Amino acid sequence: MQPLSEQFELDTRAGKPAKDPSATIWRWLQYAMVALAFGFLYLPIVLLVILSFNESHSFGLPLKGFTLQWYREVLGNAAIMTSLKNSLILGCASAAISVALALTLALGFRANFPFKGLLLQTVLVPIVVPGVVGGVVLLLAFGYVGLPFGLFSTVLIAHVNWCLPFAFLTLYPRLHNFDKGIEEAARDLGASSATVFWRIILPIVRPGIIATLLFSFTLSFDEFVRTIFVIGSESTLPIRLWAIVTEQAQPFLPALGVLTMFITIFISLVGQAIAAKSATRNGSMKSQ
Amino acid sequence: MKSTAMYKSEYSSSERAAPASSPSAPMVCVDGVNKWFGQDQVLRNISVEIKDGEFFSLLGPSGCGKTTLMRIIAGFEFPTEGTILIDQRSVVDVPASRRPTNMVFQHFALFPHMSIEKNIAFGLEMKRVPRSTIATKVKEALALVRLEKFSGRKIDELSGGQKQRVAIARALVNEPKVLLLDEPLGALDLQLRLQMQGELARIQRATGSTFIFVTHDQAEAMTMSDRIAVMDRGEILQVGTPRDIYERPTHRFVAEFIGHSNFFEGVVCAGASINEYCPVSYDGVELVGRGAVPLEVGTKVAVMVRYENLQLLAAPENGRLVGNVTNKIFTGPTVRTDVLLANGKTVTSEQPVSSDAVNLGVGQAVGIHWTAANAVVLNS
Repeated sequence: MQPLSEQFELDTRAGKPAKDPSATIWRWLQYAMVALAFGFLYLPIVLLVILSFNESHSFGLPLKGFTLQWYREVLGNAAIMTSLKNSLILGCASAAISVALALTLALGFRANFPFKGLLLQTVLVPIVVPGVVGGVVLLLAFGYVGLPFGLFSTVLIAHVNWCLPFAFLTLYPRLHNFDKGIEEAARDLGASSATVFWRIILPIVRPGIIATLLFSFTLSFDEFVRTIFVIGSESTLPIRLWAIVTEQAQPFLPALGVLTMFITIFISLVGQAIAAKSATRNGSMKSQ
Repeated sequence: MKSTAMYKSEYSSSERAAPASSPSAPMVCVDGVNKWFGQDQVLRNISVEIKDGEFFSLLGPSGCGKTTLMRIIAGFEFPTEGTILIDQRSVVDVPASRRPTNMVFQHFALFPHMSIEKNIAFGLEMKRVPRSTIATKVKEALALVRLEKFSGRKIDELSGGQKQRVAIARALVNEPKVLLLDEPLGALDLQLRLQMQGELARIQRATGSTFIFVTHDQAEAMTMSDRIAVMDRGEILQVGTPRDIYERPTHRFVAEFIGHSNFFEGVVCAGASINEYCPVSYDGVELVGRGAVPLEVGTKVAVMVRYENLQLLAAPENGRLVGNVTNKIFTGPTVRTDVLLANGKTVTSEQPVSSDAVNLGVGQAVGIHWTAANAVVLNS
């Protein structure tokens, strides 16, 4: 070992100019900042995971022992399971509708028309509207129209309203950057506009569509602020979680939080993996 | 433009004439096409006829309108004015998907999510050709472009040259009346380009289809085409065989764009009609060349002499002009010599290394000579 480390020392001295102590300090400072940022981001989550396995009946520290009891209670709680089912179904429906609308919109935006840039920005405005304001606006609108509260009326509309701009934002670049030559080649070979869409455009942007579906699902699955304004008597998982927190601080809350988080993170990761794969594919298309 | 059409018959040589099966009717007839993009006129009164089975090139610098003209023939753009006939039928109202043309795109535009065979079969599937027929035709098309061994490969596993072959097969398998090629070799490296030039010529002979080839590469157009239309700023300046265009350019632009020439700017001494010898006063000396256009006395013109037609004589008194050698470059097969004239103009001669020109030394006084038949008088 000794000769090896000596060799190493020798090499570094031979290969680099004399060491600058301030550079070393600076580098360690950077490491420390990164560590601090990660701690700031993940300490609460780590704490939540630890608490979810804590045997204590009072929700919080100190740690008493390891248990899976709280997970069993969450999975055995009928109200929570109903909310979860509602959220899953709602997420799928919102994702499907948002992506279909976003795709239509993105196809429309491939053409050139007056005020295109302005309209493009307009589509994205709902993203920056504060959630509370968005909720109030929806509540007023539904009241005005007289739409009864319900998961598949008011809540679904609210969720599509929330997901659509994001879905458009992720789909638009893929269609906008689509090589027009490929489309023209298909037309040149006798394809109608519908055939060009189904056999050329759709298969090529399919990974992007799937990624957008999953992304929209997580947006809907996590939505709380707008939902609480228009939910009525039913409940989604975030609404149920909120109710549990405010009504009776239950010891299984951390476990419920971990489970909810797990679903969202898992779907996001799958979506990102698909998006990354389709991005490299688009890259290779360009390099032709 | 109109005048061009008139002159071309004077010079047309039949050496590379197309193997026209029906010499009477043209395969493609472009008649009086104008095209505006907003305020910009990109095509100006384009009229040209392309024969059946001809390898026809649209040659010009970028922005000359050659690609727009091709896209109008393909149906991707529409003429602001004028008509297009393909096989004697007007196609102005026919969408690209139903025209008897197919196109090979500059960047290939292959379908990245399909195999080679699926790419080639696409056009036939659109025409609802029976499956068994499609399989046979795809096989034939693969053989035509010599890609049999690559069947089943994915598109992104192919090299640039192989992709190009797939693009050609995908278009040709539909047996189009006219194959349009939009700078198809532009994306390939030099070696591959030369090889594909030969391949394209072979494929064209094998299929006998009409090829319209867009390029900015004059050498490419010269070696491959039966006839060439030289374009500049939205106009067709001259249509002719490669030899017509090289030996008898009708415009100075054409002369400068193709090959290397010396231009002597002077004034017409006596009027001449096309192809007649025309005396031109240049710096007090009378030069003679053949008129590319009808010329009137007093017109400012340029006498064009190709580098290789400019001979240098060791005895200065025998030349039309006199000068001193300033530079000599050995290019391999030729020696290129610059000569400075008394009036400050430098002219260039390019002669085979086997000629006497190789013995001339820098600083030596030389006579400059050319055969009058090899000089062309152009409007300057």
